[in-house]
Amino acid sequence: MSTRKAPCRYSKISTIIFALTLSNVIYHGFALSISLRDFECVSEHVLYAGDSVSGNFVVMDHNIFWSADHPGIEFTVTSPGGYLVHSLEGSSGDKFEFKAPLSGTYKFCFRNPASTHETVSFHIHVGHIPNEHDLARDEHLNPINVKIAELRESLESVVSEQKYLKARDARHRYTNESTRKRVVFFTVLEYVFFAATSSLQVLFIRRLFSKSFAYNRV
Amino acid sequence: MLVKNHGIETDPKCDVLHRYRRPSLPVFPRQLKLQKERETSLKREKGYGEESYLVALLLFLCFFSAGLSPTAQAIWLTLPSSGTKCVSEEIQNNVVVLADYVLVSDDHSHHPAISVKVTSPYGNILHHKENTTHGQFAFTTHEAGNYLACLWVDGHYQGGDVNVNLDWRTGIAAKDWESVARKEKIEGVELELRKLEGAVEAIHENLIYLKSREAEMRTVSERTNARVAWFSIMSLGICIAVSALQIWHLKRFFQKKKLI
Repeated sequence: MSTRKAPCRYSKISTIIFALTLSNVIYHGFALSISLRDFECVSEHVLYAGDSVSGNFVVMDHNIFWSADHPGIEFTVTSPGGYLVHSLEGSSGDKFEFKAPLSGTYKFCFRNPASTHETVSFHIHVGHIPNEHDLARDEHLNPINVKIAELRESLESVVSEQKYLKARDARHRYTNESTRKRVVFFTVLEYVFFAATSSLQVLFIRRLFSKSFAYNRV
Repeated sequence: MLVKNHGIETDPKCDVLHRYRRPSLPVFPRQLKLQKERETSLKREKGYGEESYLVALLLFLCFFSAGLSPTAQAIWLTLPSSGTKCVSEEIQNNVVVLADYVLVSDDHSHHPAISVKVTSPYGNILHHKENTTHGQFAFTTHEAGNYLACLWVDGHYQGGDVNVNLDWRTGIAAKDWESVARKEKIEGVELELRKLEGAVEAIHENLIYLKSREAEMRTVSERTNARVAWFSIMSLGICIAVSALQIWHLKRFFQKKKLI
């Protein structure tokens, strides 16, 4: 390692302070769900241009009767400059990843073309890996920090995938529960209708042979 | 009390700290493994005197006043002037949840206020605050289920939409690494690696949880499958039984009517 230049007084003390107050939390990114009536937006702030923004979303549509007929929701990502960075239509859940061209606030919007109320579970993660420019600018950064950042980002991608699987599992669970309830309800309804239909049949035939009917025949 | 400011460090006293505002990178210089190096450097830094102590205090205060965590990972929600916006997450049992919310208003003439309510899956209210601009709450889950946090704009604000910065962390993300670093006296690269180790353990636990959920769902699926088979056979049986009953009844009827 090369010898240190005399660092400024502030930087030395602030390194101690920073090291002591390392409550910087690494693993965040949400697996939050929001209810989507018509149009909902969530914003997230990206600190550096060139950061990779990744995430996924899954629609838990348990409010529609014929779920195969649902047109899917529309997902758009808008950069702080107003440009559309990423868009997806008619999907019921997908992963996305893009490199942020600018730093600033990015808007992630969901639009529901159907009239039913949906719930969307989403996860967004902004990852930053220091590159040579950052290394050159700050003499306190090591190449090991780059490797640690890369490792952290790959672990984050595993976490992101897990959250996607969890959301999909929840969606399948809804479908399963709905199937179970439908099986029981429609079977019982079927039996009731069977019995009702055959008794109505019998009653009608009896009426056909009743005296009042016979007397009314022309 | 932490007050976030759009996630951007704007305190002029802390301009020099800008380059340390990175998402969770250790800024501690190159003392990697050798205990000796760490000791000598600390000895060097200790001999700075009173002036540096004041500067340190100042920097420490401004660091805390401007907000600690990398705020790039909080989300902004837009609340309409009427109506509630709810955010929910399905959380397992025994998980620490930490959240922080701040109202961000663009124009300074109106002073909106929001109300927040957090409920557990069984309906217990975990946090309820009315007419506020910022706040935080923390709890440990005792039930597995859907935890709901609802926000709405209070009363008489007519100024369009209100932006709320919500920082919601669960599980490993809510762990207080600062106290771990202080207790075990580790810093720098070692702390980063400890964090990565914690993350790997969390991934392993999550995987086991997903596996158990999938097993539950598989039993429900198989039970439904068995039920479909049974109910279809039973419906065939009912069909045959009902038509036999019909025929028997009609035969009796016609015999009574002396038509047969």
